Amino acid sequence: MDIDLSSEDLAFRDEVKEFLGSNAYQNGEDYNAWRLNWFKLARDKGGWDVPKWPVAFGGPGWTPTQHYIWEQQTAAAQIPWDLPFGLSMLAPVLMNYASKEQQDRFLPDIRDRKVNWCQGYSEPGAGSDLANLKTKAILCDDGSHYMVTGTKIWTTLAHIADWMFCLVRTNDSGKKQTGITFLLIPMQQDGIEVKPIITLGGAHSVNMVYLNEVKVPVENRIGEQDKAWTYAKGLLQHERTGLAGISRSIVALEKLKKQAMTVKRGNATLMDDPAFRAKVAELEVDLLAVEFTELRSLAAAAGGSDPGPESSILKLKGTEIQQRVQKLTVEAGGIYSAAWGALPVGHKFAKGGMSGYLASRAYTIYGGASEVQKDVIAKNVLGIKKSSS
Amino acid sequence: MNFELSPEQQLIQDSVARFIDDNYALEARQKLVATKTGFSAKYWSTMAELGWLGLTVPENLGGFGGDQVDTMLVMEQFGKGLVLEPFVASTVLGTRAVVLGASQQLQAQLLPGLLDGSRQLALAYAEEQAHFDLEDIVTHAKIDGTNFILNGHKSMVQHGASATQLVVSARTSGGQADTAGITLMLVDTDSEGIKIAGFPTVDGQQAAEVTFDNVRVPKSHLLGSVNEGFDLLMQLAVDGILALSAEAVGAMEVLYKDTVTYTQEREQFGHALSEFQVLQHRMVDMFMEYEQAKSLLYRATLEVAQSGLGALRTVHALKHFVGKIGIMIGENAVQLHGGMGVTEELRIGHYFKRLLVIDALFGNSDYHLQKFAA
Repeated sequence: MDIDLSSEDLAFRDEVKEFLGSNAYQNGEDYNAWRLNWFKLARDKGGWDVPKWPVAFGGPGWTPTQHYIWEQQTAAAQIPWDLPFGLSMLAPVLMNYASKEQQDRFLPDIRDRKVNWCQGYSEPGAGSDLANLKTKAILCDDGSHYMVTGTKIWTTLAHIADWMFCLVRTNDSGKKQTGITFLLIPMQQDGIEVKPIITLGGAHSVNMVYLNEVKVPVENRIGEQDKAWTYAKGLLQHERTGLAGISRSIVALEKLKKQAMTVKRGNATLMDDPAFRAKVAELEVDLLAVEFTELRSLAAAAGGSDPGPESSILKLKGTEIQQRVQKLTVEAGGIYSAAWGALPVGHKFAKGGMSGYLASRAYTIYGGASEVQKDVIAKNVLGIKKSSS
Repeated sequence: MNFELSPEQQLIQDSVARFIDDNYALEARQKLVATKTGFSAKYWSTMAELGWLGLTVPENLGGFGGDQVDTMLVMEQFGKGLVLEPFVASTVLGTRAVVLGASQQLQAQLLPGLLDGSRQLALAYAEEQAHFDLEDIVTHAKIDGTNFILNGHKSMVQHGASATQLVVSARTSGGQADTAGITLMLVDTDSEGIKIAGFPTVDGQQAAEVTFDNVRVPKSHLLGSVNEGFDLLMQLAVDGILALSAEAVGAMEVLYKDTVTYTQEREQFGHALSEFQVLQHRMVDMFMEYEQAKSLLYRATLEVAQSGLGALRTVHALKHFVGKIGIMIGENAVQLHGGMGVTEELRIGHYFKRLLVIDALFGNSDYHLQKFAA
């Protein structure tokens, strides 16, 4: 056991730093041109544009330590915005379950960030109980396409998406987990309507998606008909690992401390207030612990296996920590946290605080609510057989 | 960076685990608790024979040459058995003080007995007025020719009554709470003017109150240097905290696993208790916090092994967390065992008591949170 970085790891860290530093966005530059070029340069480094992809699909084949270094360095640096839907969520499913033709058709555009994907999973009647989904896909008589009808909800960025990967019901005769099929659906076509849902922080990122007799060619089906529950479950594990956001929370907490030091309390600052200080300290201790839990889980996954149930711990703890950072930011903002609208008032950081906090309430709900995660841990890790409530 | 054990470490862990399995069933342990010394002289000899008493003693001094990681592996297993022998008091704290602070001559005189178990040490640092501050010391020593003359009172000396020598922190200059002016020395427990009153602690272990009345301590028994003993004392406290935290993590594992087993066996309202979701979620909380405590334990131990007192902040984080979470897991284990949880008959209550005592040693959860935030 040791925590020393090897000389190779140290050299890698320097190389990452160098890359991030010399390719940072410069004020005035065309953002989109910079963004696409950044991914191209990262690709030339040997798969740095797709760190988590397997070597066989162009990934860099990093060790867990290298992944950890990358997370740490990129959390603190400015990197282009990127969406997880195609890159981290759909791509692994394609790699594991799609045909060679489908992989060749979809993976290159995902890698080049040319196509925006959204995830058609949740429905009004199927949230954490995802297997309860009802969106119906009927295979036409000649077997050439499906007709899809139903409603998807909480579909993040559906309003800018080109494609949706979607779970649909093709059979409702047996257990609800069987009879689910995985389809890829182009968004710009007749029968699809996207309606915004405005969340508590005032933001528009999620949507309702209505599908009314949408025609989907059968070659857009991934894997076998009725068998997609297994594919979807694997995807959720990837999603949950990605949602912990631990490196980002470390950066956010440091920022919060600096902000709190600009808030005057008498002759001192808010950071000198014992109660506030203790809350920050407790949060920081939890972060030190969860950061090492992530490292332990990375090390365990070093063999290249899928993230196991321990990834549920990370999502649970990681999202709680993100919420606590937001909550303390609101506390630090004091009266100015209540301000809304465009007029700048009070501490610079204070006004975004409340909407950040409100948005963070969703963290413990999406990707499987915390309570569902606990059910999963009880069953898979503690080995408790049956759940009743 | 890796979390794998070396073959030697794996061997130690396995042999300690076997020792616990063979010797530390609850009934056997409680018989030892009821004896005068509160532990088994036979087990103590076994530990010496297996080389555990020299775990962190350098190889050129006859030991195994290990570090805090090796101690962690032993203590985590000890925590699963609630081991009673004075391993922390004599080996982790006492022997370490000798290795770090004693002159070569004194080491040569003491180490053979420490390694074969015939000598037993204890660390006398706590004082009533000090709360948890190591540097708050009233017990004082002044130099008289070739001796220190020691006066004062030390409290809650773990395994003090069975020790042959005490490592004592005394003020040799400066104000009551100054970090400068502290001197550590080794005091024979049969010295003239020393009074030792042993008593049990709530977890079935042993402690003592010690009074020094003009006790003459040869200057050759100095550990470290005069007036500059605080860093050495802090290093000992850090090693003590790491060892106790590893023990606590072992105890937490037993508590959460026993609770999962028990709730699957016990039926009420026609269902196994484990089928109730409200109980499942509590057990998941216990499991998750146990994993988090283990992560912090690894982190702090590896950091200290790498950079000593440079890792002090992580040690504060660990002791804060272990205290808080140990009690949380203990309370939940008792609650989920229902009436049986508050009896002496089941082992969980004994693990809970040990976790409560561990929180109180070397600074409790709140104390270390303040230190962490300072």
